[in-house]
Amino acid sequence: MSLGPSAIRGRYYDGKTADVREVTVVATPGEVILRDAADAALVARWPIVELGVLGDSEHEAVPLLVRRNGEARLAIDDAEQRRALGATVPEITRLGARRPSTAGRLLQFSVGLAAAVALFWVALQSGSDLLAPLVPNRLQARMGEGVYAQLVGQRPLCQGEKGLTALNRFAGQVADAGGYDQAIKVRVVKGGPINAFTLPGGIVILYSALIDRAADGNELGGVIAHEIGHAVHYHPIKGLVRQFGTEQILKAITGGYAEISTLGSGGTLLLALRNGRAFEREADATGVSLLEKLGLRADGMSRFFEELLKIDPHDPAAVAGIWSDHPPTAERVAATRRPPTGAPDFTDAEWQAIRTMCR
Amino acid sequence: MSDPVGGAVGLPPPFEPQPVPSHQAPALTPTRPVYDGKLSELYGIYLRHLLLMVLTLGWSRFWGRTRIRRYLWNHMAVLGDRFEYRGRGIELMVGFLIVLAILILWAGVVWAIWHFGLHDRAVPGVDIVNLIFVSIALIGVPLAYVGQYSGLRYKLSRTRWRGIRCAMEGSPWSYGARATFLNFANAMTARLLTPVVSVNLARPRIIHARVGTQGFDFAGNVGDIYGRYVGFYFLNILAWAVAIGIAAAALGGVIERSGIGQEEIKAFGDLGRLRTILLIAGAAFGAYILFGVMILPLRCWWRAYLYRYLVSHTRAGNVLFTTGISTRQMWGYLVLNYLIVLLSFGLGWPWVMHRTLRLIANELWLYGAPDGSAIGQPPDKGPRFGEGLLDMFDVSGV
Repeated sequence: MSLGPSAIRGRYYDGKTADVREVTVVATPGEVILRDAADAALVARWPIVELGVLGDSEHEAVPLLVRRNGEARLAIDDAEQRRALGATVPEITRLGARRPSTAGRLLQFSVGLAAAVALFWVALQSGSDLLAPLVPNRLQARMGEGVYAQLVGQRPLCQGEKGLTALNRFAGQVADAGGYDQAIKVRVVKGGPINAFTLPGGIVILYSALIDRAADGNELGGVIAHEIGHAVHYHPIKGLVRQFGTEQILKAITGGYAEISTLGSGGTLLLALRNGRAFEREADATGVSLLEKLGLRADGMSRFFEELLKIDPHDPAAVAGIWSDHPPTAERVAATRRPPTGAPDFTDAEWQAIRTMCR
Repeated sequence: MSDPVGGAVGLPPPFEPQPVPSHQAPALTPTRPVYDGKLSELYGIYLRHLLLMVLTLGWSRFWGRTRIRRYLWNHMAVLGDRFEYRGRGIELMVGFLIVLAILILWAGVVWAIWHFGLHDRAVPGVDIVNLIFVSIALIGVPLAYVGQYSGLRYKLSRTRWRGIRCAMEGSPWSYGARATFLNFANAMTARLLTPVVSVNLARPRIIHARVGTQGFDFAGNVGDIYGRYVGFYFLNILAWAVAIGIAAAALGGVIERSGIGQEEIKAFGDLGRLRTILLIAGAAFGAYILFGVMILPLRCWWRAYLYRYLVSHTRAGNVLFTTGISTRQMWGYLVLNYLIVLLSFGLGWPWVMHRTLRLIANELWLYGAPDGSAIGQPPDKGPRFGEGLLDMFDVSGV
């Protein structure tokens, strides 16, 4: 069972000083004996039951042989000699393990990484669809109020009571038709731009410039129905979840390097914009179908988009292409065009109250 | 060892290490560290780390970092003996969680101050979230320096050479205070104090480091390098002026030759246009190249000189150090490595680590050998957890 004294050579560190001794290693049935390579003086006797291996052949060039609970170490540089010792002493077989195949591991982990990223991406897309409606209403409302405070919290609001009542009545009616289970809260911010948006928690923000631009109550009704389309599909929450998820995956695959994250934020932005265009198309379609379901005029949305095209015939959304968070306006006009049939979205009195609510 | 880099082959650089008193003059045989890591093996470890990062949403990073260190440390040898890294992922994670808990506590204190004291006197547009982030950013600057020092202490305490633990003495807080003050003073004096900062921050990191009971000495003086720095400082200003002049002339020439009118320049400002975005990206790339060609080599020249100075004024007992790192090599280290990581979206990290260790193995020279029998284990075992501050406030990398 014992190997010849010159068969295995190693470097012995006693763990007390930084001295290094060249030793020969002999394995017997009960112990490993280390002798000085120069004069064969006994250096150490390590019982086999107390032997351990530090590290592994994947990470360490030379895994070390140690006596457990001690600081001393033995380094056997020659891989064949380590294997010979490991074969002789089953308790330390790990000492002689071969290095794993590099090509196989590279292929295995590259494929695994690509699959994990793809899986994460799919899970993020479908998971956000499934989970967004499950986010508690109170939490959604709190998030929405937080974003509202950041975006327009300092801007004055229009306080006309009758106008607000009319807007909330209409928005609530459309949301109910869409099966949305939270109360819609419409707020009108004084001034421009000609825009509207929806926040988590069913908060719909309209700018008074948009109301001023609308030719009649049905155009405004179309815009509000579009915003309710966002709410019933939980687009604000889905957008936040997807953006957060994309940032996390980017951070993970770039090693969390800040500069790359900055560079990668361009990619994150593009993905967010792509999400934005899909959300807008879905909100357009849902808004129009909810108005039709209620028997209300559904032609206002496309007429309002035509108004926007008159303001800027270049259609910034079409020019910007993938850099735009909205689809081209002409495309939206065509997709939402409906005949002028059905009951008006607002009564004349309501429309009058809305028109004057900011004065 | 296969494919060794370093060792004693090659000529030592012409930069002499600091003189040693004659009564303890050692045998000054020059050697270099040996690095025998393979890039493909390192990539195998790194790709597994990335895969686990995705699957665990980043929480495996502590273990991934530890595995990479084990590989790098054990493939670097000095005087024929490899380093060992014995840190554990759990120690890094606990360190991170401790710092996270402290920050949450801090946010709670700021919230309490806001809620009970400042709420009524709030500045328009400033809310509690702004206040918490600003306060964390403010304490983050000094804490990043504290984290650098304590992170180095953790890494050294988990590093062994010939079975002997390395260590770091001194107070991270004192280092953090010194670094904050010096960097603030440097910023206030238009960076004229850079040599003072470099030497006075290198000194505590060097003289408090230990290999077991063996300490390091540093004989550097700010006065030695000030002349070179002043030359660099004014050359740098000149280079900036020339670079800006060239950029302005080039831009003017392009506009003049292409006959672009005022209206088109105005239309160019429409940020929605894809052409505008591409042109801005092209101009930024051109400016970066100009900056790279004219400014960065100068900075690399200074940094190479500084590294040579710091290394050659360091010794550990009988062992003296020197390096002949050149401006070109410093460019590879500072600029090329940065570009590799940036343009590969982080996938170039292993290559950069590999290149850096090869550079160290090629360019660090040791004169003499330590008296091993005189070096014992350090008295303390180092911190129980590590790098929480570094992870939170700084890019700790590997």
